Amino acid sequence: MNLRAGHLHPQTRYIRSLVKIFEEMGFEVVEAPEVDTEWYNFDALNVPSDHPARDVQDTFWLKDGRVMRTHTSNSQVRAFETRKPPVRLVCPGVCYRNEATDEKHESTLTQFEGFYVDKNVTVGHLFYVLSHAIKKMYANNIKYRLHVHNYPFVEPGFDVDVMGKNGSPRDDVGWMEILGSGMIHPIVIKNMGLDPAEYSGFAFGMGPDRMLMQKYGIQDIRLLRSGDLKFLRQF
Amino acid sequence: MRYLKSWIEDYVKIPCSNEELFELITELGSEVEGYEYYPAIDEKIVVAEILEIKKHPNADRLQLVKLNSVKGETEVVCGAFNIKVGQKVPYAPAGAMIEGHELKEAEIRGVKSCGMILSERELGLGQDHSGIKILSSSEKIGRSVREVLSQDVIFDLEITPNRGDLLSHKGLAREVAAALNKTIKEPELHLKESQPKASEKISVEIKTENCPLYLAKVIKGVKIGPSPQWLKERLAALGLSSINNVVDATNFILFDVGHPLHAFDAKKLAGSKIVVKDLEEEVETTTLDDKARALISGTMAICDKDKPVAIAGVMGLKNSEVDDQTTEVVLEAAIFNPKSIRRTAKSLELPTEASARFERGVDAGAVEAAVDKAAKLIQEIAGGKILAGTVKAGSEPLERKVKIEYEKIFELISLKLSKSEIDQILTRLGFKIENGEAIVPLWRHDIYVWQDLAEEVVRLAGLNKVKIEALPRLAKKPAQTDYHRREKIKDCLVHWGLTEVINYPFLSEADTIAAKVDPKDLLEVANPIQEENRYLRNSLVPGLLKTVAKNPSFDDIEIYEVGHVFSKKGEAVHLAIATSGKSSRQVEIIVRELTDKLNFPGKEFKIIEIPRDELKRFKIKKASVSIAEINLDEILDELKLGDLSLKVSEKKIDYRPISKFPPVKRDLAFIVDKKVALEDIKEEILKVSNKAVLVEPFDEFVSDKFGKNKKNVAFHIWLESRERTLQDNEAEAEVKKIIEALSTKFAAKLR
Repeated sequence: MNLRAGHLHPQTRYIRSLVKIFEEMGFEVVEAPEVDTEWYNFDALNVPSDHPARDVQDTFWLKDGRVMRTHTSNSQVRAFETRKPPVRLVCPGVCYRNEATDEKHESTLTQFEGFYVDKNVTVGHLFYVLSHAIKKMYANNIKYRLHVHNYPFVEPGFDVDVMGKNGSPRDDVGWMEILGSGMIHPIVIKNMGLDPAEYSGFAFGMGPDRMLMQKYGIQDIRLLRSGDLKFLRQF
Repeated sequence: MRYLKSWIEDYVKIPCSNEELFELITELGSEVEGYEYYPAIDEKIVVAEILEIKKHPNADRLQLVKLNSVKGETEVVCGAFNIKVGQKVPYAPAGAMIEGHELKEAEIRGVKSCGMILSERELGLGQDHSGIKILSSSEKIGRSVREVLSQDVIFDLEITPNRGDLLSHKGLAREVAAALNKTIKEPELHLKESQPKASEKISVEIKTENCPLYLAKVIKGVKIGPSPQWLKERLAALGLSSINNVVDATNFILFDVGHPLHAFDAKKLAGSKIVVKDLEEEVETTTLDDKARALISGTMAICDKDKPVAIAGVMGLKNSEVDDQTTEVVLEAAIFNPKSIRRTAKSLELPTEASARFERGVDAGAVEAAVDKAAKLIQEIAGGKILAGTVKAGSEPLERKVKIEYEKIFELISLKLSKSEIDQILTRLGFKIENGEAIVPLWRHDIYVWQDLAEEVVRLAGLNKVKIEALPRLAKKPAQTDYHRREKIKDCLVHWGLTEVINYPFLSEADTIAAKVDPKDLLEVANPIQEENRYLRNSLVPGLLKTVAKNPSFDDIEIYEVGHVFSKKGEAVHLAIATSGKSSRQVEIIVRELTDKLNFPGKEFKIIEIPRDELKRFKIKKASVSIAEINLDEILDELKLGDLSLKVSEKKIDYRPISKFPPVKRDLAFIVDKKVALEDIKEEILKVSNKAVLVEPFDEFVSDKFGKNKKNVAFHIWLESRERTLQDNEAEAEVKKIIEALSTKFAAKLR
């Protein structure tokens, strides 16, 4: 035990382990700005302002008209400004939700995005990547379920939930959603500058904060950004 | 939205268990967020068996009943005589809620009663209070009576914005029926109508493009009064209060078939006219919830000859309200443009059940059926005569057609189905197939492209049938990027003893004052929910100073943060390092490691030493804090970082939840055999004291002066209580436990 050992933030370590799992499947890291335009964060992803889908994510608007990104998906359309398919990318980063904070809700979150665009990408490819990643993230030690869930930027869309500690779907510690995913919507493919008749892709986004809280038994999400050394120096 | 299972079963019988139903609904795309048995019977009320019945010594009309409940034998006083030994009955122990009151142990005519056995009324299941509710003899003792008797369930679903059609019991029933390969049953409506014609009593004109269809029916001679019990109960199950029979009827139809209706007092409609139009000027109004609201120009309103009488699709106005004096009702059922309703509901900050449904699109083919059903219901419960015919303006929209790209669908969902299997699935969902095109049912507003059809197919076919396909192997490994470079820098800092901190990117007004930052230079949030979120940081320094302030019990603070900062010039990634406390090093030492080992350009660092009196602004009580900050984006390329492959350590972490109360910090030093591992001592301390939150070794010194093959070890231990501030005597007790445990396990001698 090193007397002078320092401590990496548990979020940093957790994200790194996710990047490694996807690097093994050929995914490269890409990053995107945390403050972005409405176009990259919403419209390009098929979330127009006059649609109720906008209400699902409470947004921080800046006075200059830009947004603090509500998800790391702003990396998707941006990525294709300097790339052509086939493309396999993951994008870890911080994103923001304009909601009241409490034990389970935060304004500032980390997300882990991934997407693959090529010719003839299918749901079969998506499920392969998800099941492989889940096995590695949880070392085969978890019960999980996959079900349809609609998001405007994918079609079809799917959620993965994992079973919490107590095993009962009724409690807060029952099924916990860890990621949303799906086949990239043809409108988004078009916004990437690609022909949706020729190219398809899948995308997924996961919430590492919740996942790492479940892993270590951390009850309050605000601890992650509390700066409390009694917390940070345990990791 | 909340749903009552028995209400769904008005449309389709559900053959499976509740658990199976919830799993099915979730698989189809709507998550079950919670459920409770209905009616709500306190979970403490359990099945008990009658062992013995005796006469009450002091009262002829009472008996003493000995029960076998799961906790053992117990005795209650009971006023019913329909019971027999051996029967299973509902037993409520002290603490259970009965008819709104908490049951307490009581002495009844000199004999103690440890609770009660219950009648149907006392259980909240009905009106029968003539005797005890006898349960089936096969019921297990101790089982919650709620599970036995509450056959109905209320469950809450998250309905995604694309499925407005599921925001009603009929809509959900239709979805469940499609999955179970059944169809929903709807009762035939035979309206008894009378003269005169409704069109003689009211005329309707549409003067806006935002209202494709408007229907009106008239019911004359109603008597406003309370609703019947069944209606009150159904609304109550969904959490709604009963207003009066006519208003309740319209609310019922909304949650029943999903169509928002509105009832007007016919006599309050000037000129017996309804005009649907977008307002040309701003109008002051009072809505049904008694609030004064200004309707901006462009708002779609339902008007009579003179004035607005309702905000179309959102809420009615008080001036046309159905009240106790109303005798003639005009019932509205319409289709309103979703974008217009959304704009209005947002600008008025008035989201309603009606606006939510119009925003998402209503069942455009069932508008007339909805107003007919409502008229019939009102006639049944409020009396009156339905005037003949439905007044109509506008027309139902045409159905949309989407080409079924069979081959593309199979490929996308990785599921081989025959064309006819796909057609069957779509037909079950209400699509009509015609010449390779799917005619989209009028209740679906989310089907535009073949990929939307693919989602319908895969969710009904079953995700477990999808064929998994591996990704093609790549020849090259993925490139390493700036992310890898930053991770390497972090590893070096951690190796040199620093702790990583991640802070919020926000600054409050107070933060900018303390940090002496001019808010003019900062990006500002337009709509912060909390004051803390007003500005975006342009430096990592204020956040790190806050971190130092938060940790008064540490005298060896050495921290760093890598994070985004923001200014009008743009966004950048910065690295900042802070040290503080008498056992910490100066930040220059760390900076020197970075320049010497990793080739950081030393002069690009901004280094500040903040003295004690300045630190007061940040509530820091330490002697000084030294901070260094640098823009990483500008220099990453010049650094010499070596191997960039990501290292993930397999450290064993035993996380201890920390308390919000301040800790007590103790330093303990021991002499032990030099072979004893620090890690093992730490583990033992954590094992024996559940108040130890953080245990850190700070010294390990092998020397003969401690004894042959002995060494000195020293630990900082932070002790905390979760309930309150730990008292000194409690801390001493923990320390004593630790010393004893270490002595026993490692022969450790306290110094």
